[in-house]
Amino acid sequence: MSRSYRTSLARAARRGVTAVMVAQSAILALAAGAAAQTPSSVAIAIVVNPASPMTNLSFAELRRIFMGEQQYWPDRSKITLLVRAPTARERSVVLHRIYDMDEERFRQYWIGKMFRSEVAAGPKIVYSSDMALNLVSAIRGSITFIPASSIADDVKVLRIDGKLPSDPNYVLR
Amino acid sequence: MRISRVVSACALSVLSVLLPAATAHAQQAPLDTAARAGEPAFAPTFHAMLFGDATYLGTNRPVAAGFMLGQAVAHVIGSLTDRLAFFGEISASALPTGYAVEVERSFLRYDFSDAFKLSGGRFHTPIGYWNTAYHHGTWLQTTVSRPEMVKYGSQFIPTHFVGAVLEGSMPQGPLGISYTAGVGNGRGGIIARAGDAGDVNGSRAWTAAISSRPAALFGLQLGGGYYRDRVTPTTGAGATEGTSSAYAAWERDPLEVIAEVVQVRHTSLRGDPTTTNNGSYLQLAYRLPGAASHWKPYARAERLRTSAQDVVFAPLLLGYSGVLGGVRYDFAPYAALKGEFRREQFQEKPWTKSLYVNVSFTLPDVGGGDNTQMTHP
Repeated sequence: MSRSYRTSLARAARRGVTAVMVAQSAILALAAGAAAQTPSSVAIAIVVNPASPMTNLSFAELRRIFMGEQQYWPDRSKITLLVRAPTARERSVVLHRIYDMDEERFRQYWIGKMFRSEVAAGPKIVYSSDMALNLVSAIRGSITFIPASSIADDVKVLRIDGKLPSDPNYVLR
Repeated sequence: MRISRVVSACALSVLSVLLPAATAHAQQAPLDTAARAGEPAFAPTFHAMLFGDATYLGTNRPVAAGFMLGQAVAHVIGSLTDRLAFFGEISASALPTGYAVEVERSFLRYDFSDAFKLSGGRFHTPIGYWNTAYHHGTWLQTTVSRPEMVKYGSQFIPTHFVGAVLEGSMPQGPLGISYTAGVGNGRGGIIARAGDAGDVNGSRAWTAAISSRPAALFGLQLGGGYYRDRVTPTTGAGATEGTSSAYAAWERDPLEVIAEVVQVRHTSLRGDPTTTNNGSYLQLAYRLPGAASHWKPYARAERLRTSAQDVVFAPLLLGYSGVLGGVRYDFAPYAALKGEFRREQFQEKPWTKSLYVNVSFTLPDVGGGDNTQMTHP
């Protein structure tokens, strides 16, 4: 085996090790990213207008509000439900945890709800967390959901079953 | 008779108390809201949905078969304030002689709160489950058509109701209780029709119903109710009518179970014995998992029995038994194809076989005035 060949082999081996390390790092990064993307690891905060007297909702109450079965707050002000447009991760968590529906069933549910005259309109759509925050801070009686990482000062975060998004065993993950 | 007068008087009293309060509240609420939060005043909104369907029927029944258009239905909702809304529905149904255009629903509702919502106009009568849950929305229902007892033009139950309705819910409790109470004209001289142009006999109908959506059993709805009227058909004898109903519905994917029973009792005004008529059905459906989730096989068994001595129903030959099986395929977000095979027996005649292929669709929020509404994101 010539010296130049051994050098080339060593260089190739080093490259191979480097490639393996790069691939390994990439796989680990992807895995970490994927883990961050899975609904179970993302805490979703339920936020309301800061003027709201509410501080806590049970999960059953939260579900009834999001299902349109409760349309007024205890002070009789109208609830305005803001829901993020499709493909947002937080929407997937809410559809899965609160509605127990996929996109198709969700649309069918609200069409049926309007058809039965149980509501005069479906939820209002928002296209970003910023839009959700702006509207919820402007509209009295509004409620929406955002990733916990997007919480701003001018909205109020509700506890769900007494827990905040940062607490262990928080239901909306 | 005395009860219906008492109910009418009570309803009028309630209306006379509530309507001025509603007017005052409606005038005050937007101003209060604007003053409190600096928000713009409420702007009226308008939403419309269209439903349509077409069917191919192959059958050995002595009826017209082949291709047929179903009902084209336009459903509109206009919010006049954040608590006052108009709900309307107009249908066009294909008949051998042309199209029958009908105002199916038209009512104004004021929401005082979740517990008190007051409406006046024409409604789907709150009897049982199907009549209010699906009715003209063919795309919404799993099967091709409604159960026999609530079918288009049903004479077994009064499917429409003209009058005033108070409804509400107590969502805070664990049982998720809702109620509906109403007083109205009752059946018309043609008993399949509501008394749109007034009460034909001066004896108001009244109805009361209660339902529950228990929080612990998400997807379940239970309910029951009673409807009372005096029926004066254009032909035949009159009778007092008492309709009792009960249902259970589980609609949470992948399973759908709907069971409903209705009993109609007639007491002839000429002194004949009271007769009892029963209708019931059980429907099961299952949405297939994973990649096949657009497919939903289903089956239904139903039965409708009327007394041969019934002064109202006996001449109408309403008896029916039927079993059906089929599959629904949601081939697009707002369109479904359904194939269904039925074995049916009408009024003790020989059993018949029919094959239905139906396509139904909805156009949600057509021309909606508020583009942030999200019935079809």
